[in-house]
Amino acid sequence: MNPEDRKTKQLPKVGIYGLTSCAGDQLTIVNCEDQILDIFGSAEISSFLMAKSDNTEGEIDVAIVEGSVSSKGDLEMLEDIRKRSKVLIALGNCACNGGPQAACVAAEDHKERMKQVYGDVKWSLPDPIDAKPLSAYVKVDMQITGCPIDKWEFLRALGRLVKGDGPIPISYPVCVECKYNENECLLFKNEMCLGPITLAGCNSVCINHNIPCFGCRGAVIEANVAGEAEMLVNMKHPQFPDRKNFDYQDVKNRAMMYGGNTMAELLDKAKVKGAKK
Amino acid sequence: MKEIKVEHLARVEGHGAITVEVDGRKVKDVKFEVLEGPRLFETITLGKTPAENLSVVPRICAICTLSHRYASLRGLEKCLDIKIPEKTHWMRELMLAGEAIESHSLHVYLLALPDLLGYPNAVAMVTKYADSVVQGLTLKKFGNSIMELCSARATHGENPIIGGFGKFPTNEKLYAIADQAKTLIPYAEGVIDILGNMQYPTFFEKETVFACCNPPDNQYGLVSDEIILSDGKKFSCEDYTKITNERVVPHSFAKRSLYKNSPFSVGSLARVNNLGDRLQERAGDAYEKYKNARWKKNPVYNNLAQAIELLYALEQVPVYVEKLVELKDPPIVKPKRQSGKGTGAVEAPRGTLYHSYEVKDGRMAKVDIITPTAQNYEDIEKYLRLAAEYMVSEGRKDDDVRFQLEVIARAYDPCISCSAHLVKLVRK
Repeated sequence: MNPEDRKTKQLPKVGIYGLTSCAGDQLTIVNCEDQILDIFGSAEISSFLMAKSDNTEGEIDVAIVEGSVSSKGDLEMLEDIRKRSKVLIALGNCACNGGPQAACVAAEDHKERMKQVYGDVKWSLPDPIDAKPLSAYVKVDMQITGCPIDKWEFLRALGRLVKGDGPIPISYPVCVECKYNENECLLFKNEMCLGPITLAGCNSVCINHNIPCFGCRGAVIEANVAGEAEMLVNMKHPQFPDRKNFDYQDVKNRAMMYGGNTMAELLDKAKVKGAKK
Repeated sequence: MKEIKVEHLARVEGHGAITVEVDGRKVKDVKFEVLEGPRLFETITLGKTPAENLSVVPRICAICTLSHRYASLRGLEKCLDIKIPEKTHWMRELMLAGEAIESHSLHVYLLALPDLLGYPNAVAMVTKYADSVVQGLTLKKFGNSIMELCSARATHGENPIIGGFGKFPTNEKLYAIADQAKTLIPYAEGVIDILGNMQYPTFFEKETVFACCNPPDNQYGLVSDEIILSDGKKFSCEDYTKITNERVVPHSFAKRSLYKNSPFSVGSLARVNNLGDRLQERAGDAYEKYKNARWKKNPVYNNLAQAIELLYALEQVPVYVEKLVELKDPPIVKPKRQSGKGTGAVEAPRGTLYHSYEVKDGRMAKVDIITPTAQNYEDIEKYLRLAAEYMVSEGRKDDDVRFQLEVIARAYDPCISCSAHLVKLVRK
């Protein structure tokens, strides 16, 4: 936008918020060192608690929300943001999938885990609630996932939004990017790689470094979770005598680490051959 | 009775609030509240593999991600009886220096400097202090580039793994960051002068105890298995509970720490107070130039200490690179056992971070993580109380009280999303 336009045209109002998370996605925005001044110039950043003090909370065009809903306070804040925003974006794995704090959901009782960490305390506080993604409570218009988000994916989305355009969602798994990067497949090296079922957009950064995919961007659309799990628990093959089978529980643990409820549901539905449930 | 409240503490990571209960000109109570939901990290990885644990625990905090990763690696490698080769060691030191540069420059230039110069945020400073803002962003970007080079991403990179690194960077890339570090040294010296020549309020000053890692060979540094206190006492990091001695209070989900029943501080100011005499080169000169008895009793000096450490870290980068380029990339070291116990301690930008583990048959059996903010919590509240009592007794305006309390809390650079134990508190 040229400076003349900026004077006459009203800039879209954007609010950036954090619920319960590590703040890594907001940090990724602050980490756009070369673009941060442009971000503040192309939109009116009415609220961004992590970066500024003069925040106002009114009607906004775009709300960008990081973090999972993990307390009643989080929920109240989210409902308030939804009410006064036209478009709501879930930012990062915690907002999209519940984050690592949702990895134990359905596995153990939340109250029991609170007791494990804090002991038997009678709180003068309201009970915190089990971690869930934003979409469990409010309408989410767009998701930018990842742990953390990819800076370029965010900038592209913000650029389109402030111009009034919609987002372009990614619909393929990490393996696609991994192939472009000409990596040797880590599944052949007997690594528990979640690339085939994980949403792309990270440029297969871990596999580029010989590290298997932990699935930090959550499940890709139509992920064949049963196929992936079945492959991992049946790795042994006559042609590859060195390979070992993975334990189904370990596969499930890894898939749920960043996949939260979505992965848990997909795994529960899947009938995995060779899995000891 | 009335309340002076800072509803949302701005320019910190995570949600915090400060509440002061006032009766006339007397302060009844001061609370530093944490409005961050519980994440229960210590239960997330139980029963999972050490590799899973290593991937997820850095997610406690985005800014200190590599400190968490390093502390976790040190703890896990003790459990699994892994001795790492020299190159792996220096790479880890380099990644920690990168994180210190990133975190300190973010805090000093973008979060604290606006307070000290009277602006609501760093972008608003551009009109008059464009140089400082640009230098801050350049340093932060440089810190991030080191983190990216070592860990594969600026935040939550997975490259440092148990027994080594997935991939080592090329010597060309290492030389490039060493060269850039040298060019950035004047920036750090500049901000040290700005902070060193500034006047700070004195009315909340009080001596405190400082704790930090005690690196071997009388070196300044960020990693050690020994902890040193400002009263001269030393102990092994395996005995961390002696100092962290966490207690749970019913009005806060944040566990708190006391040493000999008094609050203590960790972080840059603690390190510079305890180990500053060991600083060499230009960081040593800066320390000598500005060192001051008030450092032991005024937390606002933490920003200056961070700036001195920023300079220290910039000077260390070429030192680590010189060592790295001479060494061959070692293979990943495999675990010698599948069961064991161990504690890792690392100086995160905000202070000593402990990861204590027990592994049984290749699965996590015990996880205990003590973050710097949990240790500082009690001292932050102490200084907030001292400041509030003085200002309220003087009858200062609520807005002044609010601003000064925010400045003190922010000086600590509290990392509130370090919510290994930090949990929501009631909003009144």
